[in-house]
Amino acid sequence: MSSIIELKNVCKSFGDTEVLHNIDLSIQEGEVIVVIGPSGSGKSTLIRCINCLELISSGELIVDSIKIPDERGRIRQIRLEVGMVFQQFNLFPHMTAVENVAFGPSKARKMNKSKATDIARDLLDKVGLAEFENKFPGQLSGGQQQRVAIARALAVNPKVLLFDEPTSALDPEMIGEVLDVMKSIAKDSGMTMVVVTHEMGFAAQVGDRLIFMDDGWIVEEGKPAEVMKKPKSERLKDFLGHVKHH
Amino acid sequence: MGFEFSVITESLPALLGGAKLTWIITILGIVGGMICGILAGLGRIAGTEALGEEPHGIFKPLSVVIRYISGGYVETIRGTPIIVQAMFLYFAFPMLVKAVTDIERFRIEALTAAVITIIFNAGAYIAEIVRGSVISVNKGLLEAGMSLGISRLQLIVHVIGPIAFRRMIPPLGNQFIISLKDTSLFIVIGVGELTRQGQEIMASNFRALEIWLTVAVMYLMMTTVLAMSLRHIERKMKIF
Repeated sequence: MSSIIELKNVCKSFGDTEVLHNIDLSIQEGEVIVVIGPSGSGKSTLIRCINCLELISSGELIVDSIKIPDERGRIRQIRLEVGMVFQQFNLFPHMTAVENVAFGPSKARKMNKSKATDIARDLLDKVGLAEFENKFPGQLSGGQQQRVAIARALAVNPKVLLFDEPTSALDPEMIGEVLDVMKSIAKDSGMTMVVVTHEMGFAAQVGDRLIFMDDGWIVEEGKPAEVMKKPKSERLKDFLGHVKHH
Repeated sequence: MGFEFSVITESLPALLGGAKLTWIITILGIVGGMICGILAGLGRIAGTEALGEEPHGIFKPLSVVIRYISGGYVETIRGTPIIVQAMFLYFAFPMLVKAVTDIERFRIEALTAAVITIIFNAGAYIAEIVRGSVISVNKGLLEAGMSLGISRLQLIVHVIGPIAFRRMIPPLGNQFIISLKDTSLFIVIGVGELTRQGQEIMASNFRALEIWLTVAVMYLMMTTVLAMSLRHIERKMKIF
């Protein structure tokens, strides 16, 4: 297996504040990485750097053999291969569910509209929302919106999916439906996934590797079950004591 | 001298002719003003995160230049009265042309000057409406678009544009109505629009009540058409 994402000595600063310190990380194709850590630990910034929504301040990032910062002009190609799901869903409010999902393939992949719509219908069916295709985001529940957002990210046919706290804005009874969709993607498609979450149950069930971040550093990483059972650092012990188990 | 309906019927053809001219200046003015305003409004936020991500390379200094040009235009127009702009364009600009070039008999038609004045004047205010609406679009939606790998142009046309446009409609309604009423100021450069027609009839028959009442009602009817058209567009663009 080859690594599809590589971060070499990556630092990220906002103004004078460095929020990621010397991150070295290599992610293999098909791997499911779960990133945990307290708020402000840099986990969201880390995955936002991977699809260049944040540009790294120093070091090197290699995604699907495209090198940043050297090949800055090819950021769009990185994004075609790296989809993202956001905490706040961020569905386009002026498009229906099926238009939201078809948007990526038709605009970014320049597919003709009917083919893009076919793909979109297929994916909405996969996330269990076939009968909601003509609803606008405002007419859907949070859980449904997030499932549409996952379908939208998948529609561009990326090699990697990034999830930025996908269930944190959801009511408790809707978390399950979103996690189920994510689990089935991980198991069925062999998609490379990087998931920032507080759902330890999800991490244990589908995660290949768990990364614990604190204050901009990767503090611990390893097999989820082992890391959770035998945390080495005080910070992780303390953190695990605070998160809920689902 | 009571209220004479016959005064109105007699002056109606001339007033309708004036109203027609008012309408033509307004429509040309707001169509041109929209183009001008969209360009200047986007220009004022060129290269900022409101339109995607910050550019790099040559586009970075270029966007700064575009921002300054757009900003200078908006502030100059907003900072001077429209009646001064009209008189400058009609009386002073030909002299300026004469002073810096060899063209001796350069003239601008009064009607042309009126249309150009409305275009540039409305454009400056519309630019601020465009800018305000665009920067109000949730940044998360831009990130969602960018993360799909679409181009900046696609982001502006398909994501920012439709969302921002709907928010522009109420303030645009204001500006369109203001522009229509501003055409009455072109009385000073001799354009035969509605107010000037009223003034001329009034000067000959002194029937101020009948004439100005008719003129006012005609303006009200035209502004109502503008307002209702925008309401119609707003309803059609309803977002759930």
